[in-house]
Amino acid sequence: MKMNEEMLGALKTIGTGGVVVHLTTCSSDGIPNTVGERFIAAFGEEHIVIADMFAQKTKVNLNENPVGVITVAHPVKGRYWAFRGPCMIIMWGEDENFDFHGARAGEVLKEWGDWAAKEPPSEVPPDIRPPALCQRGVITLKVDEVYSWKPDESGRKIL
Amino acid sequence: MAQLTGRMKGWLEKFGAHIGTATKAGFPTTIVVEQAAIEGDNVVVFDLTAAQAAQIQANMAENPYVALGPHAIASIRAAYQFKGSARLSGNKLKVEIKEIYCTKPGPEAALRLDVLPVEHIVKFEETRWRDSGPPK
Repeated sequence: MKMNEEMLGALKTIGTGGVVVHLTTCSSDGIPNTVGERFIAAFGEEHIVIADMFAQKTKVNLNENPVGVITVAHPVKGRYWAFRGPCMIIMWGEDENFDFHGARAGEVLKEWGDWAAKEPPSEVPPDIRPPALCQRGVITLKVDEVYSWKPDESGRKIL
Repeated sequence: MAQLTGRMKGWLEKFGAHIGTATKAGFPTTIVVEQAAIEGDNVVVFDLTAAQAAQIQANMAENPYVALGPHAIASIRAAYQFKGSARLSGNKLKVEIKEIYCTKPGPEAALRLDVLPVEHIVKFEETRWRDSGPPK
């Protein structure tokens, strides 16, 4: 599923004019986990990547149930999008030729495996800035569908 | 029993939450409700639109456990995750909070807060964030 230009333009870190999102994953027996993420980008036209820095339960969930939903949280500005699809963490050490639904692990890690060096969160206020950034890998979601979370049309298929 | 602090209540009431739901087999659906009401120490009430209620009705029937992540600017300022058991009645979703986590990026990410006495949680908040709730 190819995302449109508006989506591709918005899926970047908030410090570069993008958005903060929530990532929802769940255990194999259905216990959800919903956490905010600020290190986000589009990878090509069909994948969304998020830095795996402090994901604890997310990692456990994706290891047993590789699917997720990414919802735009801030600033919304009419971008009522929920992206859903297969999701995994491409960890450092992964075979560079491993292919996750069209995303090659080596290319994902090369481009987004050291987010702090590429896009340091210098704009973040001190009381919410991470004290240290240690990235273990890249959470990668293949967009299979996009639905609206806009309250009066929630669930309407966009793509 | 989990107990929400004043700071948590303030951010949830003003900005609502992303509500993560799932089928019993683990297929997720998230809706976003942009404000909430708090009842007592640990119940969050959301007024859903008809579309939102329809979207999660089947999930709620088979798997009432949900996760809440604060919406909008609260996704940055209010780094918490709340989990609990929800009941959908008409367009009203009531969530009894059973677990509270800090999601502040850093060494305290995923720290479970509801196991602490509430005065300890308040002290934790006072030493971690400059605000005591959303701007008036």
